[in-house]
Amino acid sequence: MSDVPLQTADAEVLVEARLGRRPQDMLEAAVALEAWVGLPAQTALATASALMRPDARDAETSVGRIPAPSPRHGAVLEGLALVMTVIAIACWAAPLSSSLGAEVVERGLLIALPLTLALQWALRARYLDRVDALAQLADRRALLLLGACAVAALPALAFGAAGALAGLLTVTWTAGTILVRRRWAAAYATGVLLATLAMVADAPALLVVAATAALTCGAVAFALHGRARPNLRAPGHTERTLIALAIGGSLGLMLVLDDTVSWTEGAVPALALLPSAVAAFWGGHHLRHLEMAIPRALSGISAHAAVPRRIAWPPLRVLLGALARLLALCAALSATLLALTPWLGTSSRSAGILAGFAVLAVATLLVSLLESMGRGWWALAAVGAAAAAEGAVRVAGTGSSPGTGLLVGGTLAVVLALPAVVALLSRPASTLATALWIR
Amino acid sequence: MALPEPQAWVPSARRRGPTLGTARPRVLLITEGTYPYVMGGVSSWCHLLVNSLTEFDWQVLPIVALNRSTPLFELPRHAQEVARITVWSEELPRGGRPRAFERRIGSDLPAVLVRNLIGWEGDAEALVDAWVWCRRFPAGVRTVFRSRRGWESFVEGLRDVLAERIPAAGTPPELDLVEAATLYQTLYWVARTAAAPTPSADVLHVTAAGWSAIPALVHKALSGTPIVLTEHGVYVREAYLAAARNGGSPGSRFANTRLARGLSRVAYEGADVVSPVTDANAHWEIGLGIDASKILVLYNGLRQPSAPTPPPRTRTIVSVGRIDPLKDVQTTLRVAAATLRFVPDARFLHYGPVPDGEESYARSCLALHERLGLGERFRFMGPTTDPNGVMRAADVVLMTSISEGLPLSILEAMGEGRPVVSTGVGGVPDVVRGSGAVCPPGDDHGLAIALVMLLRNPDLAWQLGRRGHDRLGRIFNEAACIEGYRDLLWSIARPTSAPAPAMDLAA
Repeated sequence: MSDVPLQTADAEVLVEARLGRRPQDMLEAAVALEAWVGLPAQTALATASALMRPDARDAETSVGRIPAPSPRHGAVLEGLALVMTVIAIACWAAPLSSSLGAEVVERGLLIALPLTLALQWALRARYLDRVDALAQLADRRALLLLGACAVAALPALAFGAAGALAGLLTVTWTAGTILVRRRWAAAYATGVLLATLAMVADAPALLVVAATAALTCGAVAFALHGRARPNLRAPGHTERTLIALAIGGSLGLMLVLDDTVSWTEGAVPALALLPSAVAAFWGGHHLRHLEMAIPRALSGISAHAAVPRRIAWPPLRVLLGALARLLALCAALSATLLALTPWLGTSSRSAGILAGFAVLAVATLLVSLLESMGRGWWALAAVGAAAAAEGAVRVAGTGSSPGTGLLVGGTLAVVLALPAVVALLSRPASTLATALWIR
Repeated sequence: MALPEPQAWVPSARRRGPTLGTARPRVLLITEGTYPYVMGGVSSWCHLLVNSLTEFDWQVLPIVALNRSTPLFELPRHAQEVARITVWSEELPRGGRPRAFERRIGSDLPAVLVRNLIGWEGDAEALVDAWVWCRRFPAGVRTVFRSRRGWESFVEGLRDVLAERIPAAGTPPELDLVEAATLYQTLYWVARTAAAPTPSADVLHVTAAGWSAIPALVHKALSGTPIVLTEHGVYVREAYLAAARNGGSPGSRFANTRLARGLSRVAYEGADVVSPVTDANAHWEIGLGIDASKILVLYNGLRQPSAPTPPPRTRTIVSVGRIDPLKDVQTTLRVAAATLRFVPDARFLHYGPVPDGEESYARSCLALHERLGLGERFRFMGPTTDPNGVMRAADVVLMTSISEGLPLSILEAMGEGRPVVSTGVGGVPDVVRGSGAVCPPGDDHGLAIALVMLLRNPDLAWQLGRRGHDRLGRIFNEAACIEGYRDLLWSIARPTSAPAPAMDLAA
């Protein structure tokens, strides 16, 4: 330790040598003098104070560190699982209809699709989007099991056979989401494929669905085994979860409210969902670039100066890219499906249904983006209004041409959600600070 | 902003502990990333205090980053964790929402916080008023911070701060919008911390002049409860050291250090008594503008040690400390290399964990260890659960930290009668006086010479060790430390009553 006073000039040199730059302020100089030069606190503070002088330096430019993107692997597997699931489910329609009756299956799907989407959205908002998602779920294994039992049993009690089928399908599809999050998408897809083969081989359809549900739940239990941790972050908050539940349910309703879409006429109706589902997956995957595009657009832009307009362009470009991918792929796959129709049946001849699903896919992408940017209420209002409009079309009976209800509802959702999305992305600084980083 | 009515404290079933007598003074102990969830010096001190001062009812309010974690310390019957403030989480604030008029007042909250917390000459009173608004309208905090108006008011306030030109403050850097958004998010959590309810108490005991002071200052503004602030390190000093070594951008360095300075300034101003653990910290606190009459130095201490055993004379040098740049383990390695040139049969044992986030520093230490060719002569032993045992196995104890308060490892070395060779940081020179050697931080040559001298003169080393042992018993003993806090808490909780006799609830 040294009590020998330092000349201010010497102190300045020492501090700059230790820090590799000029000190930010007198406190930083004092800390450097104490920690690395060995001056006692009082001497360090006094010397540092003398060392600082009015200076006409320009402010140093600073560029903030952009947070690393959240890890994402296995997107291809996820996509593959989605495709296989849709195809397999399309293949289930006929065996299920012949085993349980078309009406039962139709009603079962009417219940299962909204319920599944609602649960998937809620799960994602509360747990699956978090870094420690699996630990969160593993910590609530009993609750998950109870939930699965309730989802399987309650519709059965309320709606009989159709409810039982709906419950089992919902459990399978929702549990599948957890498996995909665990990166076991291939295992999930394989399970669904095996179930399809069993059905094609004339095994009792309901029994196969029940076995698939049980196996998927078992796989989830296995996937979560050993994942519990004593230290956990908070899950997504209840308000967000409930909003997500309602959004998912509304989107599911939109899928089933259009009575021109039949889900049981062979494999084709479900296959009609494939182009929009795959395209939405691709578009949604592209939207992940927003996570980096928004902070990158703001990086190096001084908070001191007026914010230039050009910073809005990169996030908007990502949105346009996502929409373009969705529409292009959807158009290409829909055209392919229409071309294949002679082999598959007659229902998909209706381009209206494919267009309706495409618009619904765009709406889903936009409300999903709104929800993830913290504007869940607006997203819910958009899909709620859209579902109501689609319901009105059904009640009014004006939807005689295929896909009218889907088109009306989907378009309304897009019209309501798009301006809000564009407004948010046009103000990336405010969006990053108020919506993305404060949940 | 006008002072609102205090928010009622509603105990939950989970918070209920054993029935406690109402006549016993209640101390609300507010911790920050330490007790009872993290092992370390501050946590050990908290545990000692809580377990020893049984005549008080202790209410522990930790500020943590995890929603759920396992406590590492078991609280005694007269203490309970009354709640937990979880920061950086998605939990929603619970409590009142402001009406339209109050929301208009609150819409300037981000600007008030940035001007008075980050600005060099912020107004502590305005800051506390803003925090009181947060306590009154917890739900309003989120509404305000998620609004565009809130962001715009913050940017206005930030521009004012960045335009400040004060010689001592240097020229603020030009923060970019990413750094501004990061600071905005941090201020949101400052406001959320202020919004967290606190239980009724007779004394508020704050364990750092940082985030843990926020709920206490709001509580004091609402109910006048006195605040005792114990600083183990100096919050501002450690924030500057951390910022200087982490290589962040000028903007992040500015934001982090100014935040620490702003929090400390308002904590010092609001505290009734500031009790640093060493004189060196007191000098810093006075230098930071604290009223010297508020300062009461209360040294940390160890239980009165038994007679020391003679050193093993195996030329073993022990160092204890986490693998962290503040401990300057790289200097420890260089000291070892220099010492081994003169005393080739010396053996260095370093005990301490690698904390989360310091893995790359640990790797750099291993690389230096290899480059210096230390091999088996310097071994990283990992954490120890028997600090006294490892000290007993040493001939000399080495410490190379660049920042310390009153380090327990040095007290433990003295308790075992071992001489200390250390950097003279924080309270170290006051403690080690006459019982070892003190060199400037980073002076590996000086530290090595001191080690060589003691290794070659084991009688001198033993003599210095015994002097340290005696000095510890006289000045830095646990009983004196506990008595100091007992007197302080009694005098501040019940200024007119005499200290009550200690009562052992466990009996």
